Amino acid sequence: MRMLRLTFVVAALVFGLRPLAAQTPVGNPSSFSFKSQPYQRPESCLPCHQRQFTELRSSVKSGYRNVSPLFNGLETAANFISGGRLRPVYKDSTKLTPAGTPLNSNNASTSLFTNITQAQAGFCQSCHNPHILLQGENPQTREVPELDGVVNDFRPDLFRPLRDYSLVDASGHQILPTDPGGPAPPGAKPSLGAAGITCDVCHNVMGPNLDHSFQADGFANMSLKLFNSISKVGPFLFPVAAKGDFHVASSDPQRIAFLRSGNFCNACHDVRVVGGGSLTAFETDKNTGGSPVTHYRLENLSTEWARGPYNSTNNPFGKVVRCQDCHMSLFPYAGNSTYMVGDQQITSPTPSIFPTNFAAVPGVSTDFNFALPKRQVVTHYLSGVDVPLLGVDELRSRLGNDYPDPYDTSSDEYGTPAGLAQRRADLLGAAVRINLDKSDKTVVPGQKFNVRVTATALTGHRFPAGFSQERTTFIELSVRDRNGFLIYQSGYQTDKPHPTTGETQPDGSLDDEDLEHLIAVVDPGKHTDTYVPGLGNNGGRNLIFWSGPDSGPEARVYIGIPKGLVLLRNELTRVFLPGDSLGRTDANGKDIVATKPHFEETFNAAIANHVDNFRSLQPLRPTTFRYEIQLPSTADLATLGVNQLAGPLQITAKVHYEHFPPVFLRYLSQTTGGLGPAGHDLHLVDESRIDSFLRNNRNIATANTTVDLGR
Amino acid sequence: MKKRNRLLLILFVMFVLAAGLTAFSRMRPQEQQSASAATGQQSPVTRENNPNYPTPNPFYFEGKIPYELTGIDTPQNAWEYAERGMYKQDDLEDLDGAIADYRTSISMNSLQNGTCQLVTTSPVPSTMSPPPCMFTVRSRLAYLLMERDPAAAISLFQEVLQIDPLRLEINSLIGETYAEEGDNAKDQATKQQLYQKAVEAFKAELSLSPVTPQSVQMTGDEANNADVHWQLADVYEKLGQNANAKSEFDLYLKATKWHSDTYPWRIALAGKKIEELGQ
Repeated sequence: MRMLRLTFVVAALVFGLRPLAAQTPVGNPSSFSFKSQPYQRPESCLPCHQRQFTELRSSVKSGYRNVSPLFNGLETAANFISGGRLRPVYKDSTKLTPAGTPLNSNNASTSLFTNITQAQAGFCQSCHNPHILLQGENPQTREVPELDGVVNDFRPDLFRPLRDYSLVDASGHQILPTDPGGPAPPGAKPSLGAAGITCDVCHNVMGPNLDHSFQADGFANMSLKLFNSISKVGPFLFPVAAKGDFHVASSDPQRIAFLRSGNFCNACHDVRVVGGGSLTAFETDKNTGGSPVTHYRLENLSTEWARGPYNSTNNPFGKVVRCQDCHMSLFPYAGNSTYMVGDQQITSPTPSIFPTNFAAVPGVSTDFNFALPKRQVVTHYLSGVDVPLLGVDELRSRLGNDYPDPYDTSSDEYGTPAGLAQRRADLLGAAVRINLDKSDKTVVPGQKFNVRVTATALTGHRFPAGFSQERTTFIELSVRDRNGFLIYQSGYQTDKPHPTTGETQPDGSLDDEDLEHLIAVVDPGKHTDTYVPGLGNNGGRNLIFWSGPDSGPEARVYIGIPKGLVLLRNELTRVFLPGDSLGRTDANGKDIVATKPHFEETFNAAIANHVDNFRSLQPLRPTTFRYEIQLPSTADLATLGVNQLAGPLQITAKVHYEHFPPVFLRYLSQTTGGLGPAGHDLHLVDESRIDSFLRNNRNIATANTTVDLGR
Repeated sequence: MKKRNRLLLILFVMFVLAAGLTAFSRMRPQEQQSASAATGQQSPVTRENNPNYPTPNPFYFEGKIPYELTGIDTPQNAWEYAERGMYKQDDLEDLDGAIADYRTSISMNSLQNGTCQLVTTSPVPSTMSPPPCMFTVRSRLAYLLMERDPAAAISLFQEVLQIDPLRLEINSLIGETYAEEGDNAKDQATKQQLYQKAVEAFKAELSLSPVTPQSVQMTGDEANNADVHWQLADVYEKLGQNANAKSEFDLYLKATKWHSDTYPWRIALAGKKIEELGQ
């Protein structure tokens, strides 16, 4: 009887408390009782977590992403068009929404979005630097000030790139570069917010904030509950107590499970751009009062993963492969697996293999030198496909003298390269496989034949992903005869001048060259005495938009032509409506105005109203791209002095990766340059930077075959 | 088991059930959904809850979505037939199947039977009845019909230009179709007529991408649209207009100066042709 009573009491406690525990992190945790703690510099965690600190510091997530000229340029360009709407407002703001209601909360601090301007305010920062945006509510800890004027009162001439605000002097007081966007003042140090995503961003997380995500699902828009407290969540169910009172390790199983899951990453790795939304895919905020908040999907990575084979057991590894399994593991340095995808045998690096190590430094991190267990730990390299467009000296002038060299050639204790450039190259090498197996086997001289490139992405999301409308992957295909006579080429680059950014003659490099499917120049806008928001003087439309000789992406999608460039890059499009100016003139110098809806690629996300996120490669779905190729006629060959083609024809296909298209960087260079809306150079991007730092990752996958010449 | 113990057990079970239900009912629907997602229970994909099935606003999604992602078993509207057609054309190389689906799609999104409309005013409402006409399905069907039924192809391409007169490459394909028709025409007069129409279409294509002093300054290109110039030169040669042909070959060379060509041997060939035509 006593035993039964005891069982009852224990069972009642265990089972009765379970649902209560389940309420907290699964939904919207609303109030927290932990002892608060100011947002910490990563250096505060360094003594006990040296390995994690060093790894994270060499990732683009921490540090570079906030000082990136591209990020700063893009945010600047979008503000030029929106009249500063993307800059944060705080609770002490006197600004108004277009409807005339108070606008005193931003993308991170708004509890429920009811209008677009709330979501626009601090839009970029909410994921790039969420704590800094949140602590800006207190004027004493505010790093990025509110703009004095927005919309019609916006002053592009006074506008500073965000990174200007990430510098402090030796006393910790903010110092600004003399010229907006100028170099860091001598002796400047990184501010609290300079590092961007740091230890506290992830380990302060309490759970998802469903009210913040437009589909109420925890995706996008920094839909996280963050709470600065001494309770830090880690990956272990039975964490070891930390020394002293600096922090306690959360043992909340749901909070731990959230941190360990892909759901955690979903909060920022989908990006939904608020504004007019998409004219071809209507979506709005499903939360209470959110119907006016229309948007389109820019980064769609998390959705791709969540809907894809790796968020199921229907993949070669038979288990869910989370973001952490590739980006926080020993991948791609922990051996290979061989498996079938369709009729293709694939060998690729194995995910989900983690090192065994201490989670904190023994002898330092626990009271009374309590023994730490060695267990499976994650790495904090968070390797991705980006490398800095800044030199080491520039990085160190903004992020500290100890900022690691992205091109460091050393390795860590597990053999993982310390330099992020090498990690990026190795990650890309694991991303895709191609073959030419389905190509025609013979061709008759003078006739057409088909080359078929089958490409399979092995990534957990589509490839490329992230800012996939600019991240560029393409197939270079060449067909030669046995003597090397080049019959056909696609996905090629040529060296040419770029007068808009001062490169008047070819510079001998192909890394700064666009692909030849499109010849485009984007309007950088111009400075005017009186600022008017919108497209008029603020750039973004195409001044030049011509089909190039390797026209493929548009022709393949819209017309179904099996020719030309295979560009595995998603596309932002502006649908110009009747009456809209395209922003360029015809041969007579007359403004070209759309009389019917006109779809045209745009390189400014702020003006897109249609996005095609399906041009990238779908994971584990072999996709075949056909090239219909015409051999030259005997007469043409004779004119050229070629007797006949020598068989067999040699077919080579290569996949290359370019982290941003030069046309996009040149647009940013110009719109943030001296002739752009600011009226002076913001020192973010120029031709020299493009030439110095933009590098193609070539041959991330290759295939060869031959085709016999028949009679 | 004693009566009191049985009572305790019943009370215990009731307590556990009540506590669990209370907690779950306190969650809002989206939290319940999230809880389901967290346990790996995924709701079946429907058109309504599928992020890969775009809701027109008012335009249809013009592009290709991998068909299996759309969650469409049996197409029910013009857009769905168009998407299945693209799948058949690109992924299965089932061109007949694609043509059939494109035809069905256009029959459900047709200017002739009033099931679609040309959008001529702005702003546009989020829904239009009938919906806007789609251009992708027409372009794709037209391309597949260029050899089989050139007249139908040209008619479809012209519908695309009715939908979007500024769309690139469509006039060029009209020109290509006329040129091919000309090649196949039996009598000389018809050939001449068709080649002349091809010339007009190619020129219409060039007029959409004008080369201006400003564009030369920005790009360094004195000509563009290499392929159109190449085809124009070919047609002029067939028309016996050698001066025009030579001029087009010259523009082709200017257009390829910085951009090369997918068939790079054409660059050397153009040089030879200019020499020949100049004699």
